[in-house]
Amino acid sequence: MGFRVQPGVIGCSIRPAIVTGQKSLEEIIYETSQLALADAGLTIEDIDGIVVASNDQFDGRAISVMMASGSVGGVDRDIMSTPSASEHAFVLGALRVASGQFRTQLVVSWSPTEVSSLSEAQRLGADPYFHRALPLDELSSHALQAAALEHAVPTARQAAEAIVAKNRAHGRIAFPTPILSTGAGPLRWPVMPEMTSTPVTGCVAMVLAAPDFIAERGARDVAWIQGMGWATETGFLGDRDLAQAPALAAAAKQAYDLAGITDPATAFDLAEITDATPYSELLAYDGLSLCARHDWAARTGDGSFARDGRLPVNLSGGVLTWNPVFCTGMIRIAEIVNQVRGKAGAHQHANARRGLAHAGSGFAMQYQAAIVLGREARS
Amino acid sequence: MELLGRQETWNITYDHALGETASWFYTRIRDEAAIYGRRCAKTNHVLVPPRAFSDETLLPTTDWVKVGPGGRIEAFTMVYEQFNNLPDPPYAFGYVLLDGADTALGGYFKGIDLTDPHQAAKKLAIGTRVMTKFAAVRKGEMLDFWFELEG
Amino acid sequence: MSGDRVGIIGIGQSAFRSRRDDASYPDLVREAVVLAMHDAKMELDAIQAIVYSLSPDAMVGIGNAERLGVDAVGGRSKPFLRINTGGATGISSVAAAYYHVASGMFDVVLTAGADKVGECGDSQTVLNKIWDPSYERPLPLGTINMLAMSGVRYMQRYGMTEEDMALVTVKNRRHASLNPNAHLRKVVTIDDVMTSRYISWPIKLLDCCPQSSGGAALVLASERYIRDNNLDAVWITGVGHAAETYWMGDRMGTNPTAEHADAYALGRSFEKSYRMAGITDPAKQVHVAELYAPFSNTEYHSIDAARLVARPGDSIPRLRDGEFELGGRIPVNPSGGTLCTNAIAVTAMARVAEVALQVWGRAGDHQAKGVRLGIASGNGGDHQIFGTMVIEA
Repeated sequence: MGFRVQPGVIGCSIRPAIVTGQKSLEEIIYETSQLALADAGLTIEDIDGIVVASNDQFDGRAISVMMASGSVGGVDRDIMSTPSASEHAFVLGALRVASGQFRTQLVVSWSPTEVSSLSEAQRLGADPYFHRALPLDELSSHALQAAALEHAVPTARQAAEAIVAKNRAHGRIAFPTPILSTGAGPLRWPVMPEMTSTPVTGCVAMVLAAPDFIAERGARDVAWIQGMGWATETGFLGDRDLAQAPALAAAAKQAYDLAGITDPATAFDLAEITDATPYSELLAYDGLSLCARHDWAARTGDGSFARDGRLPVNLSGGVLTWNPVFCTGMIRIAEIVNQVRGKAGAHQHANARRGLAHAGSGFAMQYQAAIVLGREARS
Repeated sequence: MELLGRQETWNITYDHALGETASWFYTRIRDEAAIYGRRCAKTNHVLVPPRAFSDETLLPTTDWVKVGPGGRIEAFTMVYEQFNNLPDPPYAFGYVLLDGADTALGGYFKGIDLTDPHQAAKKLAIGTRVMTKFAAVRKGEMLDFWFELEG
Repeated sequence: MSGDRVGIIGIGQSAFRSRRDDASYPDLVREAVVLAMHDAKMELDAIQAIVYSLSPDAMVGIGNAERLGVDAVGGRSKPFLRINTGGATGISSVAAAYYHVASGMFDVVLTAGADKVGECGDSQTVLNKIWDPSYERPLPLGTINMLAMSGVRYMQRYGMTEEDMALVTVKNRRHASLNPNAHLRKVVTIDDVMTSRYISWPIKLLDCCPQSSGGAALVLASERYIRDNNLDAVWITGVGHAAETYWMGDRMGTNPTAEHADAYALGRSFEKSYRMAGITDPAKQVHVAELYAPFSNTEYHSIDAARLVARPGDSIPRLRDGEFELGGRIPVNPSGGTLCTNAIAVTAMARVAEVALQVWGRAGDHQAKGVRLGIASGNGGDHQIFGTMVIEA
């Protein structure tokens, strides 16, 4: 089954390097939303509906959408929120346009660093019945997944180290002036400090629109949503084989079927993958059918996913370069949108006709999504 | 069968950036015992408490306007129930439209006998004039001021 | 729209109670899902996508508690996302599930959730944290006194009395006594309400909703799928959402766009739902309503905003006349409504579920006679985000 109406992305704003302590969260969200509207050549009057995503425990608000509603133009407008993941706001916005009942949607996500400890905020996500007593934050869950991968694939560590070098090299091009997360996270064996980056504040917004609206406004820089899939793993880590990503395989299949893609390894000019750690990127290669696990070491070693390789992955430098934790998923989508629209800046790909965005979030990448974006409306 | 429970407390601290607008507002309360709003140039409305932008026009607010200290009650309630982490009842609070403002500001109503709710409700009726009172020692926060009946 | 409609094919609701010490949070979700799947005569395998309904995490005491509910909704490796619009979450989730089907991507979508408000030490403590950290949290704001202040303004504008508020409680409790899933089912008198203690003037204990535990679930499907499989369904023919300002003080003062006495954005949301459903005269065309009203006074401005009466404030004399009773002109909250049952994460979903049962003719002892078109609403945030629906047989 396909979209009743195919949505395209016509405006985008990614806000790195937000210096903390200067502006209130509402002001940051307001500015980012306004920039995305300006990029689309629209004003809020053109927007039919809004979907936002954030984490109440990160934000320090019991129902964060309330605070944000005014900032994003929610007053007298249809607004919803998907606190499960930033990428889910994009998905719901796309579904709303696809239904034919909205001509436009503004989708916005953010991730502040005003909480005393993000790790503590994340630990509240462990259930009080069995797991709250464990030191289970997101990085710990990524480490458990990394350990499972190292066990399943003996060359995983070597490949992970190559990904770190690649993404950091990309990051130096994307952000010549080092941005905020040059530091390294704490050690959660086997995830070494240099395999992560410290959380920073971030905000991202995009404008989605229906084909008739796009035609009417004569918008030229459009990233069409050719395919879209999302899925979840189960909640308890002990119920999962952490070395596998069945939800990502399901999400990828949904997206590829919709986009009519039969050979994903050769279908894209570039990809953005949520590299919470390099192990997350490796597992996504597999789940997205970009590179089988037995080839990880060889392909990361020969530069296949580097800037000049067969399939550049994370030209933005990825999460390893810039880590606004909650909204990293939507940022991956926004990066591909910018690439396809030729607006990626210093790290623009020479010929980005079709790209793949991967968003993963939650404990050991519980939520997985794959979005195919292209310059052409139909693939 | 024996059903067990588990008591859990969330204890997280936040350090929220207030931004320039709220910071300026609080420093004036602290240093001048005065309340200011921000004007939206499009509607000419003075927003109190001040916002950097109007959520109605989505335009940045443009200038500071001193408001009060007199005003009129727009909404009130008296609370007679104890809630965790809230003051001991009874107490009265609500919203006041300060002179020169176009939106209402929240605060406690003090100096009113709350023993008989119906009598208190008459004293606090919407439209009643009140005066803003400031604490002698101010920290630059909302509880530095409260409202009392005028006269 | 013919052929492209979205139908409701299965409904599950817990019998809501103060506490459910026999069930964990995901157990309660599961309970509602099993009931809905049984009602739809379907296995979970048939579900293609899931919308998870959950309002503040802090209320269940688990961050992103939807992650724990994945197995309860059979979500493994399926499209799954969560909605939170505060008290409107339940109806927003049904709307999101509706868009999943309407997008053309899915034929069968499940939406489900649960709440255990009774386990939260003090929901008003959590709910104080919905307000701005520096401007408003230092005040003793909670959802009760927020709506008490709406009541004070409504009294002043339209002449509502405390007795009028009591009438709503008396009506809804009588309705709830007929609904086995309702939480507060004891019939009360005006005197009972008037002599109950003040919580936040003018709201007294019996003007307040309870803190309930339980779950709800709905199965939605495309018209094509319903036809192909010869299923029984009722139809979602109108969907709307609208928000108003976060700032309560902006709903007062000089000519506010959204007056705090009223429910401005609820009215705007109904305008959208009605337009989509082709309803031009709701007072004549709507047969039954489930309107989200957690405190007795707020049922009046909800009836006004739904335009079941000619002008704001007319709900007061019309309710005195018994027009909104079961057996009256337009029964409002025949289930007993939010006033008798409030498991926050699914309260607004229960409004949709109850209207669906009514137009389906399956509401049991609280069935209204001859109803074929009904409306539902949900209110979230600080009376800020409103979702509405029109459901038809």
